Amino acid sequence: MSGPTPTRAHVERWFAWSPGVEDRSAWEGWAAAPRPLALEGHPDAAFLPAMLRRRCTPLTRLVLTAAFGTLAENERSRVRTVFATRHGSINESIELLHAVVAQERLSPTKFSHTVHNAQAGLFCIAAGNREASSSLAARADTFACGWLEALTFLEREPESPVLLVTSDVPLDPTFAVLVREPAAAYGLGLLLGSSGDGPAFDFDLAGGGEAGSQPWPDAAEFLRFLLAGEARLELGRFGWTRAA
Amino acid sequence: MKARPPCRLAALGVVNALGADAETVWRRLLSGEPSQLSWNDALVPGRRLLVGAVSDPLPEVPATFARYACRNNQMALAALAQIEAPVREALARVGASRVGVVMGTSTSGVSDAEDSFRHQRDHGGLDPSFDYAQLEFGGLAAFVGELLGVTGPAWTLSTACSSGARALASARSLLAMGLCDAVVAGAADTLCGLTTNGFAALQAICEGVTNPCSRNRAGLTLGEGAAAFLLLPEAGGIQLTGVGESSEAHHMSAPDPTGGGAEAAMRGALRDAGLAPEDIAYLNLHGTGTPLNDTMECQAVARVFGSALPVSSTKPLVGHTLGAAGALEAAFCWLALARSEDGVLELPPHCWDGERDPEIPALRLVGKGESVRPGGPLRVMTNSFGFGGNNCTLVLERST
Repeated sequence: MSGPTPTRAHVERWFAWSPGVEDRSAWEGWAAAPRPLALEGHPDAAFLPAMLRRRCTPLTRLVLTAAFGTLAENERSRVRTVFATRHGSINESIELLHAVVAQERLSPTKFSHTVHNAQAGLFCIAAGNREASSSLAARADTFACGWLEALTFLEREPESPVLLVTSDVPLDPTFAVLVREPAAAYGLGLLLGSSGDGPAFDFDLAGGGEAGSQPWPDAAEFLRFLLAGEARLELGRFGWTRAA
Repeated sequence: MKARPPCRLAALGVVNALGADAETVWRRLLSGEPSQLSWNDALVPGRRLLVGAVSDPLPEVPATFARYACRNNQMALAALAQIEAPVREALARVGASRVGVVMGTSTSGVSDAEDSFRHQRDHGGLDPSFDYAQLEFGGLAAFVGELLGVTGPAWTLSTACSSGARALASARSLLAMGLCDAVVAGAADTLCGLTTNGFAALQAICEGVTNPCSRNRAGLTLGEGAAAFLLLPEAGGIQLTGVGESSEAHHMSAPDPTGGGAEAAMRGALRDAGLAPEDIAYLNLHGTGTPLNDTMECQAVARVFGSALPVSSTKPLVGHTLGAAGALEAAFCWLALARSEDGVLELPPHCWDGERDPEIPALRLVGKGESVRPGGPLRVMTNSFGFGGNNCTLVLERST
């Protein structure tokens, strides 16, 4: 069987946003001297219709900003999408959980906007996108498994690129005390293709590193690795090798 | 189209309102009696709901994995326990690092989080036995991976009601990419206050048993359950041959009324499997019994298949198990294929009041005791359409 290497993906384009690190040159500066990312703040997402923007949670603004920032206008409705977020809308679910326990009526809109694929659904609506879309979580491995899920999309249809968006916001204190992680508000979009002009990375399961050992999220560590031009990145059991 | 390596659905464990083993589930599915549903007045204040609750006792999460001890993981455990022998055999053969886990859920351990919030209200702090790993979506796959002792990738898909179908699709790709030599994949969902009250607020839940495709249909009946498959990259047995996916770009909690997204998913699955519509012998409908779903789905099915294909919704018997539904309904298709003899496929009946809706295309709804003998390989399809407009259709095949 000939064809593209199934574990290889080219990064065709990227866009990332974290409070204070909001464009390419800022990220290049960050990659040269990385530091923990900010906890508070979210993008304006001024490209969204006002009606939709008003309803957007900080996470939704981050996700949609990363997605729209990565894609050219004529790509938005055509790419397949993978959304990787460890916590998703759990901060908003806390309010609903209190309402359930207090035996109060839930808001139907709030309920339908706290499903784990809420940002995926809102992206598809905002972008007029009817292509395949997936949403996932994998605890500390969420970024790597998001990459892997995007590879499964390329396995199914190698000809068509996939947008991977990884994003999270700091957990509400109710749960934050139970989780050890480098909390941050951030969103990273990567447009991945099985062929293309962008740098290519072979993915493997031979990593020997410790997950989450750097004081910023895995997605930011990947971006640092991408910009630094390094040959190999290991995040936990997952590895990326830059293809020659 | 590129040649795809085989993907065998080699073993199945299943639990839902019908029972906690494959044989009981299959027997009760064929009976077409929703008698396993039960009334519950604790979920939605001031409302008595008929739900597909699992009444069989669930296995306890072992003490070593206490941080994962929640009902949703017990549900997954009940399904996994049924395939422990073949999974252990595969693990010993290919090695722990070559086994992956892909699970689906829409609830994870929300029901236990609710208990913990009640504890907080009454005692001023979260229940000490509560761990975030029970609530976060990634916890389900992590639990399954750690329980089995596998060190391959483990992730949880959560695309509402298509989660379980997507888990099987990703598992197949993981094998095809050569990153894993065995994958445990499936889904689990648990009845809980959050989703039940959420669907109640959306006015999506009917009184009594859901009544899909009827002119009297008035909403869904909720349920819970789990299914777990062992997938191997080998020929023979029952194969996962088709995956079709689409989004709707329409609405967060209502399907595209034209059925365009559903149609795209079904056509995509046929294309992926290299099949024509007439090659399919049976379709398990998403069939939630909400006015909008059944209208758009029946229109889409009629456009793709015409009106001769036997179809049924199994949700009146099991309830809508949300994130688990895609895996459970793939399990029902698997059971039909696994138990077929001499090319005869016994079909799960469509349980309803028999009153056709003149507004929607008349499909061939499977009656009790009905079977088909298509001749040649047996191929069946299952539809899953989720909140946020996320659709996934699967095709399963057994060669004869």
